[in-house]
This record gives sequence, C-alpha cells and structure tokens, in this order.
Amino acid sequence: MSARISPLYAGRKRVNAIAMALCYAATAFGLMWLALILASLLINGLPGLSPAIFLENTPPPNAQGGGLANAIVGSLMLTIIGVGIGAPIGILAGTYMAEYGRYSRVTSTIRFINDILLSAPSIIIGLFIYTIIVVPMGRFSGIAGALALAVIVIPVVVRTTEDMLLLVPNPLREAAAALGMPRSLVIKQVAYRAARAGIITGVLLAVARVSGETAPLLFTVLSNQFWSLDITQPLANLPVTINNFINNPDPNWKKLAWTGALLITFAVLSLNIVARTLTQSRKSK
Amino acid sequence: MNLAASTATAHTGHTMAERIAIRDLKFYYGDALALKGINLPLYDRKVTAFIGPSGCGKSTLLRVLNRMYDLYPGQRAEGEVLLDGENILAPGVDLNLLRSRVGMVFQKPTPFPMTIYDNIAFGVKLYEKLSKAEMDVRVEESLTKAALWKEVKDKLNASGLSLSGGQQQRLCIARTVAIKPEVILFDEPCSALDPISTAKIEELIDELKSDYTIAIVTHNMQQAARVSEHTAFMYLGELIEFNETDRIFTTPKDQRTQDYITGRFG
Amino acid sequence: MSDHIVRSFDDELLALGRSISEMGGIAETMFASSVDALVRSDTQLAQRVIATDQRLDALEREIEEKAILTIAKRQPMAVDLRAIITSIRLAADLERVGDLAKNIGKRVVAMNGQFIPQKIAGGVTHMSDLALDRLKRVLDAYMNRDVETALDVWNNDEEIDTLYNSLFRELLTYMMEDPRNIGFCTHLLFCAKNIERIGDHATNIAETIHYLVTGKTITVERPRSNASYAPLEIGEIPKGE
Repeated sequence: MSARISPLYAGRKRVNAIAMALCYAATAFGLMWLALILASLLINGLPGLSPAIFLENTPPPNAQGGGLANAIVGSLMLTIIGVGIGAPIGILAGTYMAEYGRYSRVTSTIRFINDILLSAPSIIIGLFIYTIIVVPMGRFSGIAGALALAVIVIPVVVRTTEDMLLLVPNPLREAAAALGMPRSLVIKQVAYRAARAGIITGVLLAVARVSGETAPLLFTVLSNQFWSLDITQPLANLPVTINNFINNPDPNWKKLAWTGALLITFAVLSLNIVARTLTQSRKSK
Repeated sequence: MNLAASTATAHTGHTMAERIAIRDLKFYYGDALALKGINLPLYDRKVTAFIGPSGCGKSTLLRVLNRMYDLYPGQRAEGEVLLDGENILAPGVDLNLLRSRVGMVFQKPTPFPMTIYDNIAFGVKLYEKLSKAEMDVRVEESLTKAALWKEVKDKLNASGLSLSGGQQQRLCIARTVAIKPEVILFDEPCSALDPISTAKIEELIDELKSDYTIAIVTHNMQQAARVSEHTAFMYLGELIEFNETDRIFTTPKDQRTQDYITGRFG
Repeated sequence: MSDHIVRSFDDELLALGRSISEMGGIAETMFASSVDALVRSDTQLAQRVIATDQRLDALEREIEEKAILTIAKRQPMAVDLRAIITSIRLAADLERVGDLAKNIGKRVVAMNGQFIPQKIAGGVTHMSDLALDRLKRVLDAYMNRDVETALDVWNNDEEIDTLYNSLFRELLTYMMEDPRNIGFCTHLLFCAKNIERIGDHATNIAETIHYLVTGKTITVERPRSNASYAPLEIGEIPKGE
C-alpha cells in the first residue's frame, strides 16, 4: 500500500490538509461573532427579563421599571398583518410562475424583478411606503408599517413557493391529470400537498425576516409610548423601541432595549429552527 | 410446390375489434417532427406493446392517446386518433373526460402524498358521487384488481408513500382502474421495479386485459413478448413493423426489427 | 448479418455452428466408413466406426449444454433463437445418423467376415452414395444458410426409397432361395433400412434449415412415389446405445 504513495499524492494530501485547516478557521471565525452576539445579548438582556416586560408598557424617560408590552403587541400585530397581506399574494404569484406560466417570458421577467426586490435595502421600501401612504394620509400609522413589511414578505414567499412547486416532480402532476383531474385541482390537491412543508417554511422565513426589520418601520409606523391597538395610528414596536432606547443615556431604557433585542433574536432563532425542522422532515419522507 | 401458401397460415382465431385507430398521426415538439405519420390499431381487450430504441417516439405516441402532451406548450399532434370512432385530437374534446376514459400508469410510481384510501377515492370523487359505503367497496374492488388488497387492507390510512416501489406501482394501477377507464396506457411501468414486482405487474396486466384495452411501452423486449398480443416496433418516429407479438419475436419481416430485437442495433 | 452489440454472444453462436460442423463431418465419415466396412466385410473398420460414436455423443451433449446456457444467458429472439434451437435439433439428427452408422458397423462385426453377393453390395453402395450425397448437401446448405439446396434435398427422397424397395425384394428372393441366407440377409436388410433412415434424417435437417432461415416450418406433405410404397418395416429400428 505504502508503495503507492507517490510524491504527487503526498503533495495533494498536504494541500488538502491546509485547505481543511483554512475552512475550519473561517468557520470558527464566523461562529465566533455569532457566539459573541448571543453572549452579549444574554449578558445584557437576561437580567431585565421579568414578567413585567410582558405586562407593563414602555416607561417614560428617567423612570424606574416598566416593560415592553405595547411594543411586543405592536410588533406582533405588524408582523401578522404584514405576513397576512404578503404571504397570500406571494403564494399566488409563486403558483402562477411555477404552474401556469412556467414556460412564459412573463415569468422570467417576474422572477428577475422579484430577485431584485428580494435584495432591495429595506430602508428603500420604507421610503416607498412613506411616499405613497404616509404622506397622503398625513400621519404615521400601523397600517403603513404592515404594508411595508408585506412588501418585504412578498418576494421571499414568491421565491420559496415557486422553488418548492418546481421541486414537485412533473410525473406527479401528469399522474393526477391522467385521472382526468382539472388543472386547478391538480395544483390544490396534489402540488400544494406535496410542496406544503416547503411553502410553510418559506412563510416562516419571511416572518423571521420581517420581525427584525427596523428601517422600514422608522418611516412608516414610527413608535408609540402608549398602549394602542389602532392600526391607523402610530404603533409601538420592538425594533424602533430598541433603536430609540439604546441610544439614550437612561440606564433603565438601555436595559429594556437589550431585553427587547434578546426577545427578537430568540424569536427569529426559534422560527428558523422550526422552519429547518419542517424542511428536514419533508426531505426524510 | 407452393410453400408460401402453406406456411403463411397465421390465423388469429377470432376477429378483433379496433378500440383505437391511429390514422396518419404526426407529432411535433416545437418544429421537430417526432412522429412521422403513424397508422396503427389498438384492439379491444388486447395488449399492444410498443418497442424501439430510446427516442423512437413510442412514449410520445402513448402520450398522444390521452393527450398528456397538452400539458406542455409547443407540442402538437396532427392526424386522427379515433377512440370508439371519435377523433380525440379534434378541437373541443374535453381533456379531463378523455383522460378518465384513457388511464395511464407511469414509469416511476407516483402515489399522491395522501393515504392509500384517498389515493384511490380521490380520482373517483371527480366523476362519481358515492356514499362512504359505496366508496369503501370501490376502493376494495380496485385494490383487489390491482392485487394489492391483501397487503394493504389493514393500513388503508397509511400514507401511499410508505409502500414499497412495487406496491406503489400497483397502487397507481388500482387508482387508474378505480375510475373505470376503457383503455389503460402503461409507460414503462416496470423499469423502476425489481424482478418479483415486475412479475406481479405482468401478471396483473394479463388479468386486466379481460376488461381493458391496454397499450404498453417497454424497453424490455422479453416483457413485450410475454404480455402483449400485438407488438409495434418503432424507430426514428416511424412505425417500422406492426404484427402479432408471436410473429415479431420469432420471424420479424423487417431487417431493422430483426436487428433490434436480437441486439444488433447501432 | 451484422454483429451483436455483445460480442461474446456472436462467439457463442459461432462456437455452436462449429460444433455442428464437426458433428456433421464425423457423422458423414462414420456413415461412409460403415458402408465401406459392410461392402468389403472389413471388421476392423467396423470396430473403428463403433468406437467413434462416443465422440459424436459427447459433442451432442456439449452442444445441448451450450445451447441451453446461451438461451438462459441471452434470452435470444428471432433469428438467434432459431439458430440455437436449430443447433439442438441438428445435433440430435446427427447423433442419430451416428447411431445408425454404428449399428451397421455392429452388424458387419456380427456377420463376421461373410462376403455379400456383388449384386446386393452394388445396391447397398448405390443407396448409401445417394444418402451420403444428401447428407453432405444438406450440411453444406446449413453452413451457407442455403434454403434452396435444403428444399432440393427435401424434395428428392424417392430415389432412395425406390432403391430400398428393390433391394428389399432382392433380399427376399435370396432368402426364399436358400434358408441359410436368411441370417446375413436380415442383417443386410437392417443395414439398408439404416441407410434409408439416414436419408430421412437428411430430410429432417433440410426442414430444420428451412425453419432456421425463414422462421416457418414446412407444413405440407413431402412428395412420395405413390406407386409402390415402401414395405412394412420388419423388426425394430435400432435405438441409440
């Protein structure tokens, strides 16, 4: 065996070892920052975590105690409405692209534009909504924020829906059609069923994406110090609250900001984990 | 002495009715001509096999018979395909209705992502309103016909995907049989199966032909020889030879058929 | 015919053909020698003929095994399948030819050097020449896949039958003349019958060739001289030992 190890082979092994070492180093470097971020979030945010966070509204400056209840509820509302508007549109568009318009030029154009939208800076989306909604309405409002989030949600869901439907093997559609099933039923009963886990994953990823967005909300919802469920008025929300509190010298606000950041991060993290698990279980089936 | 007259006494026993008549069928993928004028009968309650090298057009021909090609843009057929005398290529033919009359089983088993029971009930529900009890009967009937009932009767609510490859293929056959078609098309139904499962499918085809007109595309010539009454040999989009299977595999008339079935092609 | 994609399949078919040729050669030689031994009352030659039969039997078994193996391995179709089936049939026919020649040899040994009358010897020689010619031509026809020649052989069987009939009457006369002739005459009668049977095997081979080339079996009756049909067979036909 050893006779076969030529200088050439030995050289290749050496190069391999070096490349592997570099890969590990790069991975460790990347993971280090993630670990540091999580650690600083835990160190700074965990002490503030108490039932009061979920029960009390944001305090006025230089006060003691208080919580983030209004911001949490506001964030939840914005996310739910945003995804509620964006996900159906995204799913329908993705369905059109994968099922009906698969071979048409319109689809490739849409796909191209969608990909641009996917990577568009969110602040631009915020500005866009500001121009077409906030300015005509004359005030910041929850609905404007939700719409901004919806615009961010759509391209993510379009992409995943199309990809997941394209993954459904064509013979499955043919098999359904061969039973005399109309196109709409083939999509609803067979294609969606086969792609379900993937599409849900896409929506969850979109939720994760928007729940941390700050920039588009700054121009649309602003924030609100008080408890409000009125979506036509400015609404408290976590990202903007964090943004406002963290830059303030008041230590109480700073503490709340860290706790809010911790909440968002772990919400996003758990959403990602759920999405991953769904994709995994789909693959192993 | 006249040998020709004495030896050419290939009698078929009884007369056969044409269920499907293919008349001068041309098929295009975009501008490419894939079938160059096919004329062929499919006889009632008989198995007709299509053989030929890859790309010869045999699967294309099969997919014309239930107009599966209509799912894709740029594919079109010219000529006539008469099913019980009615041209299925004519405009205005209800494709879904046509496909409920001409069922198809595919190369790879394609169970739907639902329970075994629903896999079968699903197609039936499209065309018939059955009570739960009637549906139960239909499901059992179809699974029995597909020789699968004994294996799955205790797990009808299990996912169709949990079955083995051979069982999945039989489930697909049961699903097709359940909607009571007149013609069943098999597109290389055993190419993804092991020999035992293949034998079961062949046995099944043998039984099904007492009720259905069957067309089968296969790359396995022994399979064509075993299951079919008639065989069509196709090459480069043309029908080279069509005859009784017994003749094709013992004394083909065309040299190209001979070369193909004896493994001399290329 | 072009070659198979799988070349070893061609090799197997060629090997089968070669074995058949070898069997054909051996059977021809055995037959010619046995008649020689009969006409010249050559017991030694007759012994050699008897000994050669083993080789022929072995070849037949070999061909059968090879043929079965090829069928199992290749699942041959059409012309290939016919070639293999044909080789099995031909091997069986040739093996029978060998048995018949061997039987003539045994009778030569049994007659133990007794000379046979010139006239009878002439008839036997003539008959065997005809049979040998048919055998040779039909084997050539096999090698060349020549269905014309095969059909020609198949159509011309009467002459041997006629010769056999006259020889039969001749021998009958001898036996009636002198009962002491009965012993060797019976042997001769069997020898003549064996020669006639060899001619029949040539006919069989001709039919097999027709099947090999055209894929059809000959279903019509063979032309027969309907005048004086061959007499009923006397005694049993020798079985392969």
